[in-house]
Amino acid sequence: MIETSSLASGVVLANEGGGGLHSVAASGAYSALWLVVGLPLLGALLLLVGGKRTNAFGHILGTAMALGSFAVGVLMFVTMLGKDDADRSVDQHLWTWAPVNEFQADIGLHLDQLSVVFVLLITGVGSLIHIYSIGYMAHDENRRRFFGYLNLFVAAMLLLVLANNYLLLYAGWEGVGLASYLLIGFWQHKPSAATAAKKAFIMNRVGDFGLAVAVFLMFTTFGSFDFADVLGGSASASDGTMTAIGLMLLLAACGKSAQFPLQAWLGDAMEGPTPVSALIHAATMVTAGVYLITRSAEIFNASPDAQLAVTVVGAITVLFGAIVGCAKDDIKKALAASTMSQIGYMILAAGLGPIGYVFAIMHLVTHGFFKAGLFLGAGSVMHGMNDEVDMRRYGGLRKYMPITFVTFGLGYLSIIGFPLLSGFFSKDKIIEAAFAKGGTSGWILGAVTLLAAGLTAFYMTRVMLMTFFGKERWKEAPAGAPADWHEPHPHESPTSMTGPMILLAFGSVFAGGLFVLNESFVKWLTPVTGFSHGDLPMSEWAVTGMALSMVALGSAVAYVQYARRDVPAVAPAASLVTVAARRDLYQDAVNEGLVMRPGQYLTRLLVWFDNRGVDGFVGGLAAFIGGTSARVRKVQTGFVRSYALSMFGGTLLVVACTLMARMA
Amino acid sequence: MHLVYPLVLAVLLFGIGLYGVIARRNAILVLMSIELMLNAVNINLVAFDMYLRDTLHAGQALTLFVITIAAAEIGLGLAIVLMVFRNRATTDIPELRELAEHKEGSV
Amino acid sequence: MSMSTAATATLAVTKVDAPTIEYGKLSPILIIAGVAVVGVLIEAFLPRPARYRAQLTVALVGMIAAFGAVVWLARDLPDDHRGSVTAMGAVAVDGPSLFLQGTLLLIGIASVLLIGERRLEPAGGDAFAPQAAAAPGSQQEKDAAAAGWTQTEVYPLTMFSLVGMLLFPAANDLLMMFVALEILSLPLYLLCGLARRHRLLSQEAALKYFLLGAFSSAFFLFGVAMLYGYSGSVSLDKIGVASAGAMDNDALLLIGLAMVAVGLLFKVGAVPFHSWTPDVYQGAPTPITGFMAAATKVAAFGAMMRFFYVALPGMRWDWRPVMIGVAIVTMVAGAIIAITQTDVKRLLAYSSIAHAGFILTGMIAMSDAGVSSTMFYLVAYGFVTLGAFAVVTLVRDARGEATHLSHWAGLGRRSPLVAGVFALFLLAFAGIPLTSGFSGKFAVFQAAARGGAGSLVVVGVLCSAVAAFFYVRVIVLMFFSEPKVDGPTVVVPSVMTTAAIALGVAVTVVLGILPQPVLDLADKAALFVH
Repeated sequence: MIETSSLASGVVLANEGGGGLHSVAASGAYSALWLVVGLPLLGALLLLVGGKRTNAFGHILGTAMALGSFAVGVLMFVTMLGKDDADRSVDQHLWTWAPVNEFQADIGLHLDQLSVVFVLLITGVGSLIHIYSIGYMAHDENRRRFFGYLNLFVAAMLLLVLANNYLLLYAGWEGVGLASYLLIGFWQHKPSAATAAKKAFIMNRVGDFGLAVAVFLMFTTFGSFDFADVLGGSASASDGTMTAIGLMLLLAACGKSAQFPLQAWLGDAMEGPTPVSALIHAATMVTAGVYLITRSAEIFNASPDAQLAVTVVGAITVLFGAIVGCAKDDIKKALAASTMSQIGYMILAAGLGPIGYVFAIMHLVTHGFFKAGLFLGAGSVMHGMNDEVDMRRYGGLRKYMPITFVTFGLGYLSIIGFPLLSGFFSKDKIIEAAFAKGGTSGWILGAVTLLAAGLTAFYMTRVMLMTFFGKERWKEAPAGAPADWHEPHPHESPTSMTGPMILLAFGSVFAGGLFVLNESFVKWLTPVTGFSHGDLPMSEWAVTGMALSMVALGSAVAYVQYARRDVPAVAPAASLVTVAARRDLYQDAVNEGLVMRPGQYLTRLLVWFDNRGVDGFVGGLAAFIGGTSARVRKVQTGFVRSYALSMFGGTLLVVACTLMARMA
Repeated sequence: MHLVYPLVLAVLLFGIGLYGVIARRNAILVLMSIELMLNAVNINLVAFDMYLRDTLHAGQALTLFVITIAAAEIGLGLAIVLMVFRNRATTDIPELRELAEHKEGSV
Repeated sequence: MSMSTAATATLAVTKVDAPTIEYGKLSPILIIAGVAVVGVLIEAFLPRPARYRAQLTVALVGMIAAFGAVVWLARDLPDDHRGSVTAMGAVAVDGPSLFLQGTLLLIGIASVLLIGERRLEPAGGDAFAPQAAAAPGSQQEKDAAAAGWTQTEVYPLTMFSLVGMLLFPAANDLLMMFVALEILSLPLYLLCGLARRHRLLSQEAALKYFLLGAFSSAFFLFGVAMLYGYSGSVSLDKIGVASAGAMDNDALLLIGLAMVAVGLLFKVGAVPFHSWTPDVYQGAPTPITGFMAAATKVAAFGAMMRFFYVALPGMRWDWRPVMIGVAIVTMVAGAIIAITQTDVKRLLAYSSIAHAGFILTGMIAMSDAGVSSTMFYLVAYGFVTLGAFAVVTLVRDARGEATHLSHWAGLGRRSPLVAGVFALFLLAFAGIPLTSGFSGKFAVFQAAARGGAGSLVVVGVLCSAVAAFFYVRVIVLMFFSEPKVDGPTVVVPSVMTTAAIALGVAVTVVLGILPQPVLDLADKAALFVH
């Protein structure tokens, strides 16, 4: 419904007066659309409710559901290819959810060029990760539950991208949050995992609050939750409202996509099983924020202030993630920092408006391939190294796990933007778009993206070199090793793990080329997101040249530092910057200082005022209400006579008030 | 006879019953006080019935129902009081206060 | 006495028609009454071992048959969905009656399933004392327990109570309403005192409930007498006609309506007539608490709506301000006191008080939307409550049910399914979207806002927020705390409790996701017969 309106900007809208909004009701092959969400949801239900009975075949069932969903997704895609632009988007009305007649909320799905891209990415990469997990989780006694959660995760994410209104999107959004909490904390016996899960949960709550407020604002402004009504009406609402909605959506995106200042949970979330990290980072969860902003394009188009905020957040996070990534010794945390930075690229691009939306999504897809590949590769390395994550205890592994080495290597080349690989095209386009924004801000954003490209090359080369090249540092016992320490025996992982890695490597290599060939990706998405070229202040070749030289520089520095010299097995003392980066640039400390501490002081103050206050209550209002409660409940003495007296008093009151109501 | 006499009598009886419920410690006496309140209502009903010359005599009919139900109620009430008495050897109502808001920290 | 002679003379000249009763229209009530009587006969004539199955079968079959009768009567309602009165105007068979009777019967079925549960006690038997008359720990009781006696009288008692409940919202005159009130209350007083564990608490609950219940009946009856004195009739219709043009000289009317309202407010547990609720809910055997909390509220709100909508529509400017005040105090007090509760059953009791306030909000709207939203809320609330108390019966330690909240810490780790189901019920209580609680709250608040009670809606929303806090606190406790070492275990129940809980879950989820059919049904059933 929105696609024609969003076709581009306000001009079209003004001409058509929003009258051209339409989308076809789902029929034919499209009528199977609900199965895309339904299959994994069914899988989750069967596995979680079925309990131990499904232990034997749980992993097969879970994977089958994900693959089935993927198959339906492909069917949708093929059907869509066979149609004209105008008929490509469909709505499937499932049922009407309405607590009261006037408040109609239709539960329906909406499939268009944008959501089909997400469907394919989520189900495709999701299925590969399911397959990989069969091997990875083979020895875990709770494997069936794990697959149940995975299915739930995929189903919630699909609901998020297929919803045809913000209310249903919110349901999917919360579902993703819940599933991620369950998965990150899957190994609950590790206290760090439980803490990480809680941290992710709470940070996501902050973001969800933003989304809830945005949805309420939409409903009060437009009287509807439907994309069609909200986005179609965005031209008529006041600037202030649009900015408020936009900023709240941005807050939501920051929470889910781990953007500054809500990014701290992402690194800790590595405590979950590695396939979960891959799923969170590549296909689901973190991409939700980018989807939200792109889907709400009209709202941001109508509010330059909100757009500016989006680009600023993106720019900060691009650099923030890249700097943190340079100093991490934990392979998964280094990759996590890299995700943060790459999502920053996407958010930044999405903030640029119609010049950037398409490339944000394009980078999202290519990133989905190479980041999933990198994470699965990291998992494979850990699998062969007794779950060691410290890269300083790796080295020279290319001989022992050749397939992992090659696939990881291709992912690496793709992410740093090696010419003609996927990442090269998508990142290059974002840098171009940043410069094309024009003005001083365009130059600043362009410079930021270029700098980040160099940093990316540096930290990814570092990861590559420390893991697969150099001396075999794992052969020596680490200082302070336990008595039963034994040398790991690196080995290649089973086929169920390497298979997905190989497939993803193909994507990392070729996807980008396919997308830019004949501008197919841009043409595909333009009906939904709109597209404009902008004015690039220099030639495209100049941008590409600068980007490539930054990449070469970054890689070279890393080569000098980590290949020409030996890597110490213990992190050496380092400069202030490195130490800060190792500690996530003190973001936790900042959060603690800015948010937690004052909150705690405030609470203590309130409790101090309420000195007869209740134990066990924290939080100002809660303490107040709790104190009232503790006092009021003393009325409940257990004496029948006092109960009778209170009833009698109440009766007198009711009678007196009734009589007085007449006189008044 | 003016309507006001039976009504005042009824209110007085009702008030005495009410006082009994609130002030008496013994469960049996509380039961009796409740009976008093119900009977006060009966006087009211019969008085109104006469005053209104109700052809259907709804007031009297209701009085009969109240008498019957009150009898059932008192029987049941005595059974419960007896049950309590067997276990505690007392019918002192103020001693029955294990169910109450006890001083306790919250969880 | 000159008056009495005059009355005798009147009696002599008036010909009173013999009452006609349409038994078909009363069939749901009559079926359950018959079941209760059969239950008594079973107690009298069947050998002890055979009674349990017989009672359970008769009760369940009877309730299903009565439900069928309700459906049959509902299909026979005329197209304008306005019903008719029967039994000489004493009983109304209209939309609200049938809707609430259907709800009550479904709640009754689930409750009897809970009452019949015999898997939970380690030593066998159900939740009720083997011989209630015997003192706990006495030789007599030990003998009874050793002989494997169980108390199957609970089934006819429950059925009698259900008869009163079915009659209560259908009663179209105050006499019938009083009779129904007593029929529903008396068996409940007894049932409260029959718990197998914590017998002293149980008996204390029974005595408290009895004394305060009888006390409130006296107020109710006093009010009835006043209304009778004012209007010359106990029929709600006639009171409605008489009160429609009331202008002055109506102290009788105002006092009467206030005191009848007090009696009804006591039954629903509204503040300041709520004080029995937490004590009784805590002390009573949990299956009975569930039945009482769910069904009594449905029946009493039905009666209250009929009373205000049929007898006193012309008096709304008199009673509405008072009821708004009561609703506000009820919501606020219920939500706030619940926060510091440490016992699950008391927590649910205070939560039920707060919910009484929310339901009052819908009733005050004084419109068809108010009636339908209130009835919808009652369905939603009834099943959530019953389900929640059913879950409480499962969490046990050596001393019976572990109701202290500290025992529930970490339950999510120990038994994710049970904790998850309980969390669902709590979310529904809190009114989180996609649960029945949200649909219900939304409906009543909207009806109240339309009805011009905006202030009430504001208070309601704020109280919902406070209430959400303590519900979520329990969820956090279950899922985020470390389980206690000597914590309770979750007993696996028989298929009966499982079915009751499953019914609760199903209604909660379906009314959250697909509320429309039931809303439509409630809309159609919202007209009181006059």
